[in-house]
Order: sequence, then structure tokens, then C-alpha cells
Amino acid sequence: MLTCDEYITPVSLAEAFAAMARHQGRYRIVAGCTDTLPWAREGRAGDVAVPVLIDVARIPELNECQVGDGRVRLGAATPVQRFLDNPALGRAMPALPRCAVWFADDQIRAQATIGGNVVNASPAADVTPCLVAHDAIVELASRQGDKVHKRSVKLADFIVGPGQTKLRDGELVTGFDCDALPGFGGSFEKVGHRRSLVISVVCLAVAVRLDRDGSTVEDARLAIAGVCPVPRRLREIEERLRGQRLTGALLEQVADLPLDLVQSRSRQDYRRDVVRGFLVRGLIAAAKRAGASPEALPPALEAAYV
Amino acid sequence: MSEFRLEAVVNGRKIRRTAKPSQRLLDFLRDDLNLTGNKEGCGAGECGTCSVFVDGVLMKSCLLPVAKAQGARIDSIESLAPTGELTVLQKAFHKAGASQCGYCIPGMVMAATAALRANPFADREEIKERLGGNICRCTGYQKIFDAVELARDVQNGRLPATALLETDTTDGEVIGRNVRRIDAPGKVSGRLKYAGDMTMPGMLHVQVLRSPHPHARIVSIDTSAAEAMEGVEAVITSKDVPGQDGFGVFVHDQPVMARDKVRYVGEAVAAVAAEDLATARRALGAIKVVYAPLPAVFDPVEAMRVGAPVVHDYAPDNITKHIPIRVGDVDAGFAASDLVVEEHYSTQAIEHAYLEPEAGLAYVDHDDVVTVVSPSQNITHHRHMLARIVARPVSKVRFIMSPVGGGFGGKEDMIYQGMLALLAMKTMRPVRLVFTREESIVATAKRHPSRTTLRMGVMADGRIRAVSLRMICDGGAYGLSTEGVMRKAAILGAGPYVIPNLRVDTYGIYTNNTPSGAFRSFGALQTQFATESHLDIVAERLGLDPFEIRRINAMRDGASTHTRQTLGSVSLLRALDAAEQASGWEPGAPNVRGLARGDLGHDDVRPPVSLGTRFAPDSKQEAAE
Ligand SMILES: Cc1cc2nc3c(=O)[nH]c(=O)nc-3n(C[C@H](O)[C@H](O)[C@H](O)COP(=O)(O)OP(=O)(O)OC[C@H]3O[C@@H](n4cnc5c(N)ncnc54)[C@H](O)[C@@H]3O)c2cc1C
Ligand code: FES
Ligand code: FES
Repeated sequence: MLTCDEYITPVSLAEAFAAMARHQGRYRIVAGCTDTLPWAREGRAGDVAVPVLIDVARIPELNECQVGDGRVRLGAATPVQRFLDNPALGRAMPALPRCAVWFADDQIRAQATIGGNVVNASPAADVTPCLVAHDAIVELASRQGDKVHKRSVKLADFIVGPGQTKLRDGELVTGFDCDALPGFGGSFEKVGHRRSLVISVVCLAVAVRLDRDGSTVEDARLAIAGVCPVPRRLREIEERLRGQRLTGALLEQVADLPLDLVQSRSRQDYRRDVVRGFLVRGLIAAAKRAGASPEALPPALEAAYV
Repeated sequence: MSEFRLEAVVNGRKIRRTAKPSQRLLDFLRDDLNLTGNKEGCGAGECGTCSVFVDGVLMKSCLLPVAKAQGARIDSIESLAPTGELTVLQKAFHKAGASQCGYCIPGMVMAATAALRANPFADREEIKERLGGNICRCTGYQKIFDAVELARDVQNGRLPATALLETDTTDGEVIGRNVRRIDAPGKVSGRLKYAGDMTMPGMLHVQVLRSPHPHARIVSIDTSAAEAMEGVEAVITSKDVPGQDGFGVFVHDQPVMARDKVRYVGEAVAAVAAEDLATARRALGAIKVVYAPLPAVFDPVEAMRVGAPVVHDYAPDNITKHIPIRVGDVDAGFAASDLVVEEHYSTQAIEHAYLEPEAGLAYVDHDDVVTVVSPSQNITHHRHMLARIVARPVSKVRFIMSPVGGGFGGKEDMIYQGMLALLAMKTMRPVRLVFTREESIVATAKRHPSRTTLRMGVMADGRIRAVSLRMICDGGAYGLSTEGVMRKAAILGAGPYVIPNLRVDTYGIYTNNTPSGAFRSFGALQTQFATESHLDIVAERLGLDPFEIRRINAMRDGASTHTRQTLGSVSLLRALDAAEQASGWEPGAPNVRGLARGDLGHDDVRPPVSLGTRFAPDSKQEAAE
């Protein structure tokens, strides 16, 4: 059970920083609360008494999303559901709507924020690898004296281990600055013990752009999670795909790249098999959505993996 | 603690109330507004029985601090049928028989409402996906999906409204007919009150201190600091039990709270009744228990060895119950067999996970009757046990069975009612205890984990000559239903087959694990899992079809069971025929299958589930390209 003496809901960054200064050392930040509330239960943290909870979910700056030409800026309090509701966002970040349907359920998705997903830094977080595939940069803000101090850190560097980030005391994540990937086809592969409300055993985000006739890979982005302490970009595979003609053999080849990805303590063999299948399947799905020509992806290949 | 003023519109009515910052929206609705239709099944976002609309968006109210509802429009299950007239969806749940225990149903109805609002034409796959955040432990979901499809079709005019009405015959015939459950309206509307929904004026809240040790001597318990806390009305330990301290379905080996020693992690050691839940929980932290850990045993086979830690002094061999069955001469039977096959089988502990965690309310009434209201599956037995425990005549002890939000055998044990009664007697006030999900998992019985060695001798034509079956079950720290479970496991374990020579031994063993107890099928599952698996293996070895080997050995009308009960009629052959047909069985020995399976890809074979049906336009577009 999580108890607090005061629950503060600032409606501006200034108010948030004022509350953080006022209650220095006695507060905890929450956004959607979907990680924090279940954490404060028996078997995990148990009963937790926090003097002050500061809820950043209603701060406008943290809720804005802008889809620009080359960039997408996502406020930290963006709920995961927004990737399903906002078509422009879905086009610029094509793996994210697919990730969203696999994320928790229709209800938690409306509440869970991307900032919470990142700061919680679970190795099995689903949104984080998608953002890694978009080369996201974490925007951080803190108040120093009367001024707001901002800094940014690459998401891939921001998460340093399970549950550990470079977030400093007194700092908030305000948003993420990401590559827009319009024209890419996206896919998200995930497996856990069941379909809904499940923590990933393995998850994979894929975005692929093909040439005009849908036969050559122009660009590819892949990131994986669940199998290593922090989400990981698969740059080796991206390199191998770039500029290549799209064929079933190519996909199977890259899936066989001897990557020592799987570092999980349990079920390594299973996870390795899954990673291989996911790579082929995820690339097929993304390529199809990117307009792959039917010759490039023969139905037999699809039947074997999808 | 700084309370604050909450303004919101709840079920269409404006409210201005003080709320506590630690409250979740679920607590505020249930405790402060007495809107108990939505329940708490897990408190962790997993089950969805707490789902309510927040500004029209369905959310899990157990994950929402109440402050998040500031200025919002909240609609709980009660909003759907404000005057008692059920919505189309609620009627469809009633018609389709979609509610069983009903504990998940308020959340299911809300999720179904949200699903059809999001897509009034959602197909079954999309309905499944949209209801994915809600757990039902009773129905197997199919009738719930049927109900949502029915409602969808009525709402879209594809079916007439009369499709929702009672169409079953009224001539009094019920067997073989679909009869609507008369208790469904109360469940689909959220109006039915489970024990955890009930309150009484002046009621105290109970919390239980549980053992962190699997096996330890209790050196001392100091409750003075807890008792001195403001808001704490009473603290009890085994010292407060006035009568014979013991309960269990067969042997009364379990004290209401641990006496002298604890035998498993999660065993009750003391209980507190306080003015509110938070105080009761804090008071637990003020109780000082000094334990002297003892060697513990976690494996039933080890527990049977000489010199193993003894869990109960009365059973120095740690055997809770041994049930033997002897028929004919098994060794001679094996000697005469053409083929003898021996294998080992094991099954694991399983949690019932009924959606309603244990809850109960107790009070001493005006006639001094100690009254316990709880979803007990065995109130008469509990009443008699409790009378002995509290040393009152049976006429001064009353059990009222509240609606059971799923039991599956797990609510047969009087695991907490004793503490409630003692606290009601000590405080002379109503007291209520509601388990958390975690507490329910830690403290209550599981299905017996089992290990079976099965040896079967058969003739070349498939007839069974001899069977020896030896099963060792982990009964955990207390007896509960173990004796009965071992008996059923033995009686039914060799299956409905004619076996001239049979030797069965089932053992329930004490260990320092969570107690095992009753669970659907009551022991038959464990032994029959072994027997039925074994028959498949033997069929393979003999080159026989698995249905055939069962038909060859099936008991028929007039057969005598392994324990000499004469059976007037035996439906096994009919059941086998039905199963063979329904499963699309391809005849042949088990080893002719594998890659040669011909049943895949047919209309009646379900494809693997994958999420994303809501992207249907996308795949249509893909198809069009
Ligand atoms: C039933 C259930 C199912 C789930 N399923 C999934 C799933 O499928 N995939 C998945 O990835 N996750 C899942 N989760 C986990 C959780 O929902 C996500 O991690 C979610 O994104 C957390 O966001 P939040 O805003 O709710 O976090 P909160 O609990 O509010 O915060 C989490 C952490 O982040 C910090 N924080 C939040 N916002 C900020 C900020 N702006 N600045 C600094 N610190 C911040 C908080 O202090 C806290 O430490 C599930 C959770 C539940 C309960
Ligand atoms: S999801 Fe809220 S009580 Fe289970
Ligand atoms: S009817 Fe769904 S949990 Fe019982």
C-alpha cells in the first residue's frame, strides 16, 4: 500500500519545480502511477509511506506532442494510447502503434506514460526499445536557483541498467526528441506468458524503408528488449540490410547473425529461438507495410514465420 | 495527513467531498460513496473488476490515486442501470449465462461497454482483445464473448430485442434446457454484495500478522505497543482462544493463529482490529515476535525419511494420511502380462485464484450469538468447529454464507473466520477482514503437488492385467482437506477401467510448504493425469489407438469399482464417443501423428491468437494492394 501525506498535482513546470523545492528529499514523482502503485505492494516494496507525491501528468509541457518534418517531440507524460489515437504520430513512428496494442491493455494504456516507462527502466519495457530505434534524446529539466536548467542525454545512454537511469535528483524528464520515420513500415513483436497484460520475455521494434518499387532496403531500424539489461539497438543488422535487395534469404541471413544478444539468466535457448523468429517475422511485417513487392516476399516465407 | 476537497461528477451527480491523498479512486468509490459494484480483485491492475469510466475512458480504479479524479466525470457500474432497468449489454450477459460467481462481471460489463462504444461492429477477435484487461476465473470467457456479440447484434439491429428475452420453456422442465440464472441481474448490475462489500456501523478493520519463517518456535509475542496505538481496539494471539484451538476439514491440526510454533511462511500469528485499515496495518508493524528458526522440510519425499524435521508432534513420520487399496495379486498380474510399462508423473501446486479474495465480517449479536458472514464453502462444519474453538454452544454460533466470488475448493478451509470471531468477541464490535490478493496467495491452500509412480501390465490385445500406483503428495503444513483428497485420489486414480489386480497407495505428507487443500476434482486430477497419460504411452507401445485401449478396458453398466461399489450405469463409452467426435480425432496409434497431422488449417481449428485486430483496415489495405 502506498501512502502519502500530500498529493500534489502541479499544472505547470514552474509549479512542479516549486513543489519539488519545497519538499526536497521528501517527495516522489509519479505520472500514470501504473508502475508505482503495484510496486508498493506485498512481495515487492511492501507498504511504502512517501510524505509527498508529485503528479506530473497534468503539466501541459509534458503532454504536448509535435510531429515535425524530420523530428517528433513527445512530452514525457504522453500516454501510450496516444500512438493509437493520433494517426500523424503513428505515421511518423510506425512501430509504436503496434507496440501500443501489445502494451498492457486498453485501460492501462490510457494512463501509462512513456516517461514513466523510460524512467522505470525495466529491461522488459516495451516503449523504450521503440524510442531507442528512433534515436530518442531525453530532455531533462531541473531548477537551479531561479532558472530552469535543461540538458539532454541520448536515451541509449540514459538507461544504465535495470531500474537505473542518469536522472539526477531534482530533475524531471520533460520529453523525448526523436527521429521521425515517415514512409517506414513498422512492426512490433512481443511474447510473454499470455497476450494481454504481460511483461515481455522478448520484444522487438522494427522500422523499415524500401525503395520505390519495394525491392531494396533503404533504411532499417531495429531495437530489442527483454533479453539484456538495457534495450539494445541492432546496428549490425541495420548495416547488413541497408542497400540490399529484399529477399527471404537476406532476412534469414541477418536473423542468423551471431549476436550475443541474449544475456537473460533464464531460458536462454528459448529466447534465442524467439529472437531469430522475431527478426524474420518482424522484418517481413515491417517490409510489407513499407510496400514490399510480392516477389520480394514470397508467400512461402511468410507462411513459415508469420 | 492533509485531506483535500474533491470535486467530481460521479454517476451523473456532482460531488464535493473531502478525500484522503492516499486513497485510490476505488477506495473512494467503495468506502466513501458506498458504490461497491466495482470490486477489488488484485489491487495491481491485473484483473479489471475495478474498471470505471474516467471522462468516458475506461480505467482501472485501483491504479488511480483519487486526486487524479479531480474535476473528472466518473462512471461506475452503478451508472449503467441507475433505475434498475438493465442495459442491452447487461441483459445479454444475463441471457447468455455469462455470469457465474459474478465477481468479475461488473468489470467485464464495463469493458464490454467500452469495447462496443469504441467499435459497435467489433468482431469476436476484437472483443477478446478489448476485454484483454479483465480476468474471469469461472466462465472460460466464451459465454462472455457470446454475450457481447449478442448485445452488439441487438444494438445494430441485426437481431431483434426479443433475442435478449427469456425464451426458455416455462413448463417447468429444466434438465437439458438452457435456463437463465436467476441471480444474474444482481451480478451484471453490481448490486450483489459480497462479504468485502458489506459494512456495519461501528465496524473495525482487521489485519493479520503472518509468519516470515517456514518453521520456527515462537519465543515470545509482545503486543503491548500495538495495543497502545491510537485507533487500535484489540490485538489477539493464540492466547485469546478460549476453547479447543484447532480446525481442519478432517484432522483439526491447525490453530486459529500459530500456537508455540509456525509451520509455513504466511501462517497467521496475530491479528489486529482497528478503526481504519491503515492503522491496523501500522499496528502489525508494532507487534514484536521473537522466533527461533527450526530446521524445515520442503520436499515430501525427504519428509518421509527417518530423521526429517517433524512438522507436527502427533505425526512423527510426517504422514498426514495414507490410503491403500488392494485388489487381487498385483505381482502375479505383472508376471502374466505381455508388456509392463513404468513411468513417473508429477503435478505442481496450483493457486485457485478465485477472483474474490477472502473476506469476512463478524459480530456478536443482541442474543450473544457469535456471527460470521463469509464466503465459506462449508458453513455447517465451520459452525461446529468454531463453537468448540470459542467454547460456546453451537446455538450461540452462526455462520452466514455470503455470495462466493469463486471458490473452487479454496474456500472450504476456516482459515480466517476464527480470528474474526475472536476479535468480535473481544471488542464487541463488528469486525471485517478483506484479504489482499497477495495475502490470499500466500496464506491459503493450493492444489496438492504430486509425484506418482505408475506401473501397468497389459496383454498384447490391450487388456490391463495389473496396475500399481503410488502417489506422494505435498500436503504442506496443515491437514486441511488432505485426507479426503488422498482418498479420492486413491478411489478414482486408476480410472474407470477394469483392472483385475490393483495396488494403490496415496500419501499426503506434512512439509513446511503452504498447506495444500481442496481444489476442483479433489485429488482425482493428480492420479488420473498419471493414469490417462500412461494409457496413451501404453497404447503407443502396443500400436493401439488411445480411444481403443480405453474402450477395451472401460467399465460397463453393472461394473464394480476398485473399491467395490456397483455401478448401475456407466457413461464412459458414450463420453469417449463424444470426445472422439468433437476432437476431430484421426484414428491410429499416437505415434502416427506428429507432422502428419491432417486436422490443422480447417475451419474449426482456431488460429493462434495475435493482437492487432483493430488494425483491420490496414490489412484490408494490404490485401487490396
Ligand atoms: C497490469 C500492468 C500491465 C503492464 N503492462 C506493461 C506492458 O505491456 N509493457 C510495458 O512496457 N509496461 C507495462 N506495465 C508497466 C507500466 O505500465 C509502464 O512502465 C508505464 O509506462 C509506466 O508509466 P507511468 O506513467 O504509469 O509510471 P509511474 O508509476 O507514474 O512512474 C514510473 C517511474 O517513473 C518516474 N517518472 C515518471 N514520469 C517521470 C518524469 N516525467 N520525470 C521523471 N521521472 C518520472 C516515477 O518517479 C517512477 O519512478 C504494466 C503495468 C501494469 C500494472
Ligand atoms: S485491476 Fe483493479 S482490482 Fe484488479
Ligand atoms: S464469473 Fe468471472 S470470476 Fe467468477
